Amino acid sequence: MTIHLSILVFWPLLLAVLGGLVPRGVAPLFAVVGSLVPLGYAVIMLIDFDTAARGLQYVTDDAWIDELGIRYTLGVDGLNLWLVALTALLFAASAMWVALRPPVRAKLFAIHFGIAETAVLGAFLAQDLALFVLFFDLMLVPFYFLLGQWGGPERIAAAVKMVVYTLVGSLLMLAAAVATAVLSSPAGELTFSLAELQQNLLGENTQKLLFAAFALAFLIKMPSFPFHGWMPDAYRNMPLPVLAVFSGVVSKVAAYGFLRIALPLFPEAAADWQLILLIIALLSIVYGSVQAYTQTNLRLILGYSSIAQLGFITLGIFALDPEGRGAQGALLQAVNHGLVVAPLFLIVVLLATRTAGSVDIRDMGGIATRAPVLATLFMIVTLATLAMPGSANFVGEFFILLGVFQSKLAVAIIASTGVVLASVYALRMYIRAMHNRPGPTVTSFDLGMRDAIVLVPLVLVILAFAVYPQLALEAGEPAVQAATDAVTR
Amino acid sequence: MSLETYGWLVLAFPLAGTILIALTWRLLPARAHGVIGTLAIALSFAASVLAFFELESRGEEERQVVAHGWDYAVANGVDATVSILIDPLSMLMMLVVSGVSMLIHLYSVAYMGGDRGYTRFFAYLNFFVFSMLLLVLAANFFLLIVGWAFVGAASYLLISFWYRRRTATQAGIKAFVINVVGDVGLVLGTYFIFTGTGTLDFLATFEEVGSAFSRNDGDLVAGCLLLLVGAFAKSAQVPLHTWLPDAMEGPTPVSALIHAATMVTAGVYLIARMHPLFELAPAAADVGAILGCATMIIAATIGLVVTDLKRVIAYSTMSQIGYMVMAVSSAAYAAGMFHLMTHAFFKALLFMAAGSVIAAMAGTQDLDRMGGFRKVMPFTYASMVIGGLVLSGVPPFAGFFSKDEIIALMFAHEDWHVVLGVLGYVGSLMTAIYTFRMIFRAFWGDPVPEARELEHGHLYHPEHPTNPATGEIEDTDVGFPGPEHHIAEREGPMKIAMGALAVLAIVGGVVQIPKVNESLHHFLEPTFADSRLYEELEASTTLTWIGLIVGATIALLGIAIAYGLWVRQPDRPRMLQQRFAFLHRVFVNKWYFDEAIELLVVRPMAWLGRFASSTFERAVVDGALVGTTSGLVRLGSAAVRRMQTGYLRYYAALLLMGITSLGAYFLISA
Repeated sequence: MTIHLSILVFWPLLLAVLGGLVPRGVAPLFAVVGSLVPLGYAVIMLIDFDTAARGLQYVTDDAWIDELGIRYTLGVDGLNLWLVALTALLFAASAMWVALRPPVRAKLFAIHFGIAETAVLGAFLAQDLALFVLFFDLMLVPFYFLLGQWGGPERIAAAVKMVVYTLVGSLLMLAAAVATAVLSSPAGELTFSLAELQQNLLGENTQKLLFAAFALAFLIKMPSFPFHGWMPDAYRNMPLPVLAVFSGVVSKVAAYGFLRIALPLFPEAAADWQLILLIIALLSIVYGSVQAYTQTNLRLILGYSSIAQLGFITLGIFALDPEGRGAQGALLQAVNHGLVVAPLFLIVVLLATRTAGSVDIRDMGGIATRAPVLATLFMIVTLATLAMPGSANFVGEFFILLGVFQSKLAVAIIASTGVVLASVYALRMYIRAMHNRPGPTVTSFDLGMRDAIVLVPLVLVILAFAVYPQLALEAGEPAVQAATDAVTR
Repeated sequence: MSLETYGWLVLAFPLAGTILIALTWRLLPARAHGVIGTLAIALSFAASVLAFFELESRGEEERQVVAHGWDYAVANGVDATVSILIDPLSMLMMLVVSGVSMLIHLYSVAYMGGDRGYTRFFAYLNFFVFSMLLLVLAANFFLLIVGWAFVGAASYLLISFWYRRRTATQAGIKAFVINVVGDVGLVLGTYFIFTGTGTLDFLATFEEVGSAFSRNDGDLVAGCLLLLVGAFAKSAQVPLHTWLPDAMEGPTPVSALIHAATMVTAGVYLIARMHPLFELAPAAADVGAILGCATMIIAATIGLVVTDLKRVIAYSTMSQIGYMVMAVSSAAYAAGMFHLMTHAFFKALLFMAAGSVIAAMAGTQDLDRMGGFRKVMPFTYASMVIGGLVLSGVPPFAGFFSKDEIIALMFAHEDWHVVLGVLGYVGSLMTAIYTFRMIFRAFWGDPVPEARELEHGHLYHPEHPTNPATGEIEDTDVGFPGPEHHIAEREGPMKIAMGALAVLAIVGGVVQIPKVNESLHHFLEPTFADSRLYEELEASTTLTWIGLIVGATIALLGIAIAYGLWVRQPDRPRMLQQRFAFLHRVFVNKWYFDEAIELLVVRPMAWLGRFASSTFERAVVDGALVGTTSGLVRLGSAAVRRMQTGYLRYYAALLLMGITSLGAYFLISA
């Protein structure tokens, strides 16, 4: 029983609120401190985490709403350790980025930003179904405001669309969560504790229904084809530093939800629904890649490429191979995707300042010439995005495809076309922005200190991870094995 | 120091060179980066040589050494580690790669002297050498794939080196994507094999493979065919070859190093390395041999008609690799590796000489515009002729022994491989013709203006250089082929590098003269000790000698034909073109491979993309799905419709109400 995780979760919120009380000039500083402390915590946890042990570590477990059996339970295991670290890293990077370029109404911005980090960390750490649902839905609120108030020209419409669409999914999930607790708790003793729910599984038909509700919520959140209707508008309008964390971690909560909740609570349903989810994943991969290849708006190229990448992650989770390779790869890939997509969105900011504000690749070209450092960083991230062997992204893809290969051969072979398509859209993006003749409005100059201070560490993390992905795999193995064992056993 | 240490050092020097150059790009003058780059590779070569002696000093059974670095992705039963395998096969590759790379770095120091991207060039080039050495040293499938992809990335970076030229960036992405197709093939092939053997480690796989698979087992054949996809994409074999001619957009030293001497031969190395698998899946090996032979012929026919100087050499490379693939797919491992080695020497030499000519032509590569360089560029001319004679297989140069050994071993099979042997001679004739066609057209005849200008002592510089492929005025910001580059006649380092390669090309054959000195065969023996066929397959003495005589005759005949066509009767080629108009059209259009890929792959994908954005996205994703959802929500919230005034704060209030009602929902459901 420790208080550490509670500090980790609520520190950003606390600092955000405190930041609201101080003069406007120092508010961003509070946001930075609010995100750096969780990062420090996460790093210490990575070092201190016992990879050999099974089960949860640093557990906080308190009664919260006794009458409903809702407990305040937080805990870390192999499933969420690296995702928590990723969240802390990306929020810290983004907070720093924003602090160096303060937006209008910076105080309010910082408050929403802090709530967002708390919500995401809470969703990753919650070990109680009700708590998870609460944090999961709480995530929507700050991003709604960040999009609706600081976004692009069509921000209101985009924000409403996002909220309405994803709220439908969330409501379904809420209903399913309540139903799960009510139906599977022994008479008179309502419980939402994941550990206990896992002991009392439901009948297959009930499972199927509830699983579908959860799956739908997660697929909308990711987003996955064909439930991505809210994505283009939201991605077109969300402020880029916010988009960096939104695309980097929020979609991962959904992927994580499958591993933490859907597989262990509804194992039989997961096996039944496997093929359908694999097909959705395949379609996401192909559709997202083809779209990413067609779009010219960098925000949308990255948005659709995320759909494809999340497709790979879903594919891995539902590989359901006995060794858990697919899920292991999916978990690693969730971290990897966050690590590459966040710097990419920040790079889009830098590109836009060199093309008179445009984020369209048709207005770009030739930026590399006087920006060799930017070009190098962009190239490294691009190669990692297309999962070039030697990057940790490739390790993730290797495990995912291997898992699928061993359970559903044909699916793996179709999915591997996605690997080729990724190289096409990622390189196209890079070349059209950085190479060829300069566009008419392009002025090329290298990145400055305040850009480098955020981007360089992120790229160094990508490189370090590429050299030694073993660290994450080791931590994940027992937990992933347990999650897939629940289904394949 | 131990063999393992040398192995790691071979890898470490080029990587350190890359990083050092990258970090000091602004601190040191550009010239220093050329020195650092060359020095790094020289040290790597020195370490290879020391490793070679260390390996030789060991007993035959101890010549396969695995050095374990660190666990890379060891989880869930997958055993991907960073570890290197040093054995005679990787040793040979190490020596060839680091040795030839060293000479090409030396050449580049002078040749690229005036280029704007001098520093960048050496950083990329060192990274390439690191990647290539990683590829040949990898001790497991995973690391092999990493090296495989790294060389692809380095190749991409260097093809697109002059990235302001659209032709260069297009060639780059094409090369990269086709190489990724190869990577995917390699990965899927690895899966098939891993599923059977349960390990990624090479030596363990080779031990397991016999018990895991039966002969011509479906899974093993599928796995080997997929490995071939990887090999063919990298080695530019039909039908995955279309990137190589376009890759000639890169600077000429790159063509010499990556697209002739080293990277493109990786497929040959792969097949040789995987010989225990292919011997157990002869069906896959046969496919490799036949496609290798097909590439050899197809590329040679294109080489006969193509008018771009570097592309002639590129098609020649494809064709020669066809020989090697044919050899290693037919258990003639030592012969294939021997040809790989000699080819690295003479093909690098040919490209270096071509680079010198292109510099004199201020970037123009068109043979139609060249002529008469013989007198003004004697050193370049001599190098080109030596390279040409070795490539054509004229005795007693290295190419003569290596190519004819492959053909002789085809005949030694005494089955359908004999057909491949006969086609080998056909290819050999075409090789001699296109090689000397190139030499006669560039160096003989009347001197062109560029040659005459050089006679007066200065290099030709056009006032407004244009890209010959598109007619665009060149962008001087980043650089382009031409005036900023140098000719061998004036640069010492270029002369040294070319001279060294010329000597190697002439005498390199001594390591393997059939029936006289078979030291290469013996050297490679420990790697192929597990092969049934390695010792068995041997050409009889009569066959060998007949083969050598026939080979020599064909080479000389080919040169004579070229002389007749392009020197004695320069009108004849046009007459032949008219008489065989159909064939000529097929050859000039490169057998329509590009068009086929465009029609079958690129267009459908572009159409799908357009359909997805214009129709599907609007009608289904946004229309039906979002529409239905929001319709439902609207229906449900009909009661509070009046509150939706479009102001954000009302929405906020609505959201708060929503969250409150969520809480209420909890209580009710409980």
